[in-house]
Amino acid sequence: MSSTTNSPTGSNRVRIVVATSVMLTFISYWRAAAIILNDLGSSAFYACGIAEQAIGKSAPWFVLGVMLFAFAVRAVYVESCSMFVRGGVYRVVKEALGGTLAKISVSALMFDYILTGPVSAVSAGQYIAGLINDTIAIADAHGWVPVAIHRLFHGTPQVGVNTTAVLFALAVTLYYWRANIRGIEESSEKALWIMQITTVMVVLLLGWSFFTLAKVGGHLPPFPTLANIHYSSESLGFWKHSKLPHMFGVLGLIIGFGHSVLAMSGEESLAQVYRELAHPKLKNLKRTAIVIGVYSFLFTGLVSLLAVMLIPDDVRTRVYSDNLIAGLAMHMVGPEVLRLAFRAFVVVVGFLILSGAVNTAIVGSNGVLNRVSEDGVLADWFRRPHKKFGTTYRIVNLIVVLQLFTIIVSWGNIYTLGEAYAFGVVWSFVFKAVSMLVLRYRYKGERNWKVPPNLHLFGVEIPIGLASIAMVLLSTAIVNLFTKSVATVSGIIFSVVFFTIFSVSEKVNQRKHAHNLANMTEQFQLQLAESVERESVGIRAGNVLVPVRDYNTLTHLRWVLEHTDTHEQDVVVMTARISQFGAAAYSLSTEQMFSDYEQTLFTRAVSVAESVGKKISLLVVPARDSWSAIAQTAHNLESSGVVTGLSSKMTTAEQAFALGSAWEAIPEPKRQFVLQIVQTDGIVDTFRIGPHTPTMKNEDVVLLHRLWLNLTREPGLENVHHHDILTEALTRFARDYGARDREEIVKELKRHGADGGPTPVRRIADQIDTVQPGPARAERDDGPPGSKGSGAD
Amino acid sequence: MSFSVLLIKILEYMFVAGWAGSVIVLLLTGYEDVGTLLDKEDEASK
Repeated sequence: MSSTTNSPTGSNRVRIVVATSVMLTFISYWRAAAIILNDLGSSAFYACGIAEQAIGKSAPWFVLGVMLFAFAVRAVYVESCSMFVRGGVYRVVKEALGGTLAKISVSALMFDYILTGPVSAVSAGQYIAGLINDTIAIADAHGWVPVAIHRLFHGTPQVGVNTTAVLFALAVTLYYWRANIRGIEESSEKALWIMQITTVMVVLLLGWSFFTLAKVGGHLPPFPTLANIHYSSESLGFWKHSKLPHMFGVLGLIIGFGHSVLAMSGEESLAQVYRELAHPKLKNLKRTAIVIGVYSFLFTGLVSLLAVMLIPDDVRTRVYSDNLIAGLAMHMVGPEVLRLAFRAFVVVVGFLILSGAVNTAIVGSNGVLNRVSEDGVLADWFRRPHKKFGTTYRIVNLIVVLQLFTIIVSWGNIYTLGEAYAFGVVWSFVFKAVSMLVLRYRYKGERNWKVPPNLHLFGVEIPIGLASIAMVLLSTAIVNLFTKSVATVSGIIFSVVFFTIFSVSEKVNQRKHAHNLANMTEQFQLQLAESVERESVGIRAGNVLVPVRDYNTLTHLRWVLEHTDTHEQDVVVMTARISQFGAAAYSLSTEQMFSDYEQTLFTRAVSVAESVGKKISLLVVPARDSWSAIAQTAHNLESSGVVTGLSSKMTTAEQAFALGSAWEAIPEPKRQFVLQIVQTDGIVDTFRIGPHTPTMKNEDVVLLHRLWLNLTREPGLENVHHHDILTEALTRFARDYGARDREEIVKELKRHGADGGPTPVRRIADQIDTVQPGPARAERDDGPPGSKGSGAD
Repeated sequence: MSFSVLLIKILEYMFVAGWAGSVIVLLLTGYEDVGTLLDKEDEASK
């Protein structure tokens, strides 16, 4: 094995450089806010409806109270992020209360995540079914429904709301299951786009509602006093037959608050996006927190209040309790057709944001279980990658099976789902807040911000603000245990099952990992490096970087080794240890960075190198995004080329575009390199990444030459060169494009594109040539960039 | 006083005291938030 790898120590063990700093792409606070609001904002579609079913007409005040309190809860997350870059529940609870409680908190968090999917999907289905039924009813009222159909349905045809919601929820969940198995990318761009559309809806909704209020008037909902809280038969849970809830005024407030607390679900995402926030991180986190706070207060809080004010009581509770915003749209002043159109818009937005929440739930749960698995508390079996797509399909399957089970068992009952959901939400907040309180005394490290106010008495700090938030959460969570029987029973069963799985897995894994560690120590020698540098990897400039992920597809590595003289050019095999969205709160230890999966992957890579008889260097890089990791590693290692395999879900051009985009995000100065994508059938596509000399058409070369001939005849221009003409032409072009002729230039270029066939839209990476397999390959396929006789440039 | 009543009384005090403290948190952080929003430095990160 030593013959195939760079091992400066001369031992038989393969040296692997493990970078400890995560390669992240950073996002603005607007994008971060959009990601969080995709989850947090989605609860506006169902939170108040659920709360009103439980406690009556004063529910909007409780929802407003929850949204106000959410401002305070955000402060807890800001403080935790100022202590740990990955300041999520698991990390914080583990630091403060130890591994056992951390596992319990993760179980509660998983309950929250897994229920986010069904509650969002069913809610979206309810909105769609409601729209279908109302549209048919309006059409029927106008006599547009044929008599035969009318007769067939014994009246106005209507779809079963819960059945439709269940079928829709199953379809959406299965769609995102497929997408996650295939490995879709989470994009902040998409989140921002959804939030832009949602904002248009919110502005229209609020504006039109206030206009309606001014026109027709309205009454505020009854204030939240014990007399105004009307408990439903289900809302008291284990206290259904007890007098206690009717004896204490404040207890009524806690019960009401507990039934509305799901309105702030999604705040946990604040800790998850922190790692990816651009500099200055803490200030941008505060800005993100302000944006999400104000937005969710206006959206979830005000819309709930307006809905109760504008929709008549009997219609609201009978027809619109599960699709309150749709009901609000239908009770504005204005023509019916306009209201119906706006309702359709509400449904489209609801579909987008709620479906997005379904995906977030799967991605988030997958992320949490992945990290927990890496922490040794879930069997490695779950992390085995899909043979074709390389995703952790067993974890995705587990999550989706649980979600499908939940959807079928609830059969579209959004109230039951919402009540159960609140269990996970409130308990994960409790664990977080209590742990932060403990850490005020136990944690001695850096802390850049504290929840105010803090009193100092006799040299002891008393965290009044933090303790206050923890007390509200804890009292609410305890009361919820009594009033939400379904949530309590299902939540405890779920948490106990998950906790047992985690604990048993941990014991099994401890033995297995000890065995693996011994094997790994024999086989591999890990060398930790803060950042990826050429010196730390021990390679020369101009090397070839070969990213690998799936040990079943190493064809491209074999191709590189067959075409490279490793005495002249180093080959670096790298794998990016991806920390997914939803899992950023979890830290990576060395064992996590180089788990048994990476061992298998590198063992296979080494055996490929052995079979070819060439040397390779091995590198593990933690990253948020694989393309950024490749681009940054190639840049840091001064690689002349990157050779990768064909993605199962992207074309070669899309792969080149993705890498090109990642390269563009690297700050200047940066190096260009060549990307080669080796397909399974032996075809190799080559692209240049970064600015480079374009491939010129023959007529352009002739034109340039003709211009040069003419110009050199001008007095004083005898010594002008071709490149001088290009410089002048481009300078003039840039000036015109930047100022007066921008539109005309764009029009002309579009015309050129139309004349010359389809204009490539994506030009970050330019394709050079395609190397075909077979006899022609010997002539054209000269190997990786920079290698002897390379024809890449 | 039964255990249930005692528990509820404790929970009520926790809730009320917690809310009183949370309102102070809201006021103090709200004041700080205004400063954060008005601070135009680093706006490039948008």
